[in-house]
Amino acid sequence: MNGDAMILAVPSKGRLMEQAAELFTGAGMPMRKVGHERGYRGEIEGLPGVEVRFLSATEIAWSLARGRVHMGITGEDLVRETGTAAEERIDLIAPLGFGQADVVVAVPECWLDVSQMADMEEVGAIYYREHGRRLRVATKYTHLTRRFFAEHGVTGYRIVESLGATEGTPAAGTADMIVDITSTGTTLKANHLKPLEDGLILKSEAMLAASRTAAWPGSAVNARQEILSRLQKDDKRTAAGKKRKR
Amino acid sequence: MAAESAVQFEALEVQAAAITDVFKQAGYEQVAPSMLQPANLFLDRTGENLRARTYVFTDNDGEELCLRPDLTVPVARLYLERHPKADVEARYCYNGPAFRYQPGGVMGAGPREFRQAGIEYIGAAASVMAEAEVVRLAVEAVRGAGLSDYRLRFGDLALFFALIEALDIPERWRQRLKTLFPRPNAFYGLLARLSRGETATAEAEARLIGRLDPDAPDEAIDIVSTYLTRAKIPVEGTRTLEEITARLLDHAKDGREKPLSKKTVKLIEDYLAVAGPPRAAMARIDDLVEAAGLDLGDALETAQRRVDIFAEGGIDLGDTEFHSEFGRDLEYYSGLVFQIEIPEAGRAGQIAGGGRYDTLLQTLGAPQSVPAVGSAIHTERLLAAVRGSAS
Repeated sequence: MNGDAMILAVPSKGRLMEQAAELFTGAGMPMRKVGHERGYRGEIEGLPGVEVRFLSATEIAWSLARGRVHMGITGEDLVRETGTAAEERIDLIAPLGFGQADVVVAVPECWLDVSQMADMEEVGAIYYREHGRRLRVATKYTHLTRRFFAEHGVTGYRIVESLGATEGTPAAGTADMIVDITSTGTTLKANHLKPLEDGLILKSEAMLAASRTAAWPGSAVNARQEILSRLQKDDKRTAAGKKRKR
Repeated sequence: MAAESAVQFEALEVQAAAITDVFKQAGYEQVAPSMLQPANLFLDRTGENLRARTYVFTDNDGEELCLRPDLTVPVARLYLERHPKADVEARYCYNGPAFRYQPGGVMGAGPREFRQAGIEYIGAAASVMAEAEVVRLAVEAVRGAGLSDYRLRFGDLALFFALIEALDIPERWRQRLKTLFPRPNAFYGLLARLSRGETATAEAEARLIGRLDPDAPDEAIDIVSTYLTRAKIPVEGTRTLEEITARLLDHAKDGREKPLSKKTVKLIEDYLAVAGPPRAAMARIDDLVEAAGLDLGDALETAQRRVDIFAEGGIDLGDTEFHSEFGRDLEYYSGLVFQIEIPEAGRAGQIAGGGRYDTLLQTLGAPQSVPAVGSAIHTERLLAAVRGSAS
């Protein structure tokens, strides 16, 4: 990281990008790209000590964990997925009121006999006897999945990493069930999948986060405080009453 | 503690040479199976605990490989490569590294690369004698390295399964109890549900289940198929209509069963609470089983005979304890499970472990079930323990 700039990582595409931009503009901190239109650098009007980097939401989570950026806006799911010690490396400062989605365990709808995590261990054992291999769970959330399944005492499965189109894997036969993020549930339904009754792993939301592993010179700390106080003022002012508990 | 310093490494090698000498003199052939193992073959056999901590990677040809997290499966594979018919007895010993991921990096809870020295006795016809031989050798090896302050703890998974088999309960409940035995929480949850007569099903399915007659399984498949068609749910994915219906029928049957009796639950709990000197433990189990009017057949006789044969084989029963619950979460074992441990020393005190794993070789491709029993010594822990007690 160069000099004393406080580096803020912001999603580079999609709804998250739009909503992040709206949030900051509404709080009197409009962002804009610098240099090339298709580039990845930016700045905040009125906050010269802040350098904005546009990255994918996943890269933001990893960069926060590794201390490559100071602050970032990204999904809680991606932050928690960075590892078992995510909270030691990333401070989840505040939820931002957008980007809500649930990380759920989902199985084919036709599995009428399966409705809870408690069914999975037994189904897994029977499956192993019948098919000679373990149930495969397709997901990009390997850490969240392992921890959740372990908490529910389910071990007879294997994770198959899936970086996209996870919902299609059971029908395609490359996995037997999935752990994926869903906002409206339409994609799950369209793929004839249903979440387990107790299969909610995480209610995720876009978060403002800060890295605990980055080096924080005084100027960066000041910039952080400035951003937080402007966001809080905007928060109090907004009629939508975004009441946040953290 | 990784063998990082030269002095440490040398001390470990000296200790390992002495240990493998003990094994070789008893007729065990030293082998060196590969460190790289096919991931699928390996990971599907081991429990999730081990699976999540295995270093898996893909090579340039796209083949999924892993660094072996233990040596038992690699040695079993080696045996099958040499003896595809699995029709001979073989005794192997080994000393080499194994790899397990530990959270926290190098400063984490334990070493990521560690050494094990051990033995596998595969295809032995005389089972309890084979077990006594393996246990005796493991004890001899650690004593030879200088360990004197230890306890030998053992359990018997086959005995627990025999108890479950002997209970007068539906076969599918037996299967479930045996399946969930390695997960204590799920196991006790199931016991509680069965004794309350509960079946865990969603409401929509409860209505469907009410229409299924366990005595008419073919009709049940039709009913379920029609139900799915009407609900516009395609039968997609990797489980068949038959599998799904079979389990729904199990739920239907459960709804008609009388709940698991309090007496039975207490018997199971009392059995699992047995812990102490071997002869006293066997006597207690005998009493429990007799009071319940059950016949555990060979399994109980074998367990009792094992204690005698251990004693005759020179294993000191004074330092030995039998715990019914022991080994429940060690996945591929099928009978005897044991550990040489320093009491109250946590993981660092788990010096050696082992047991019988009769189902493993067949899952690795053996044409029939092959008896196998073995033990592995964590040589770094042994070295640390011996040095610790010397100072």
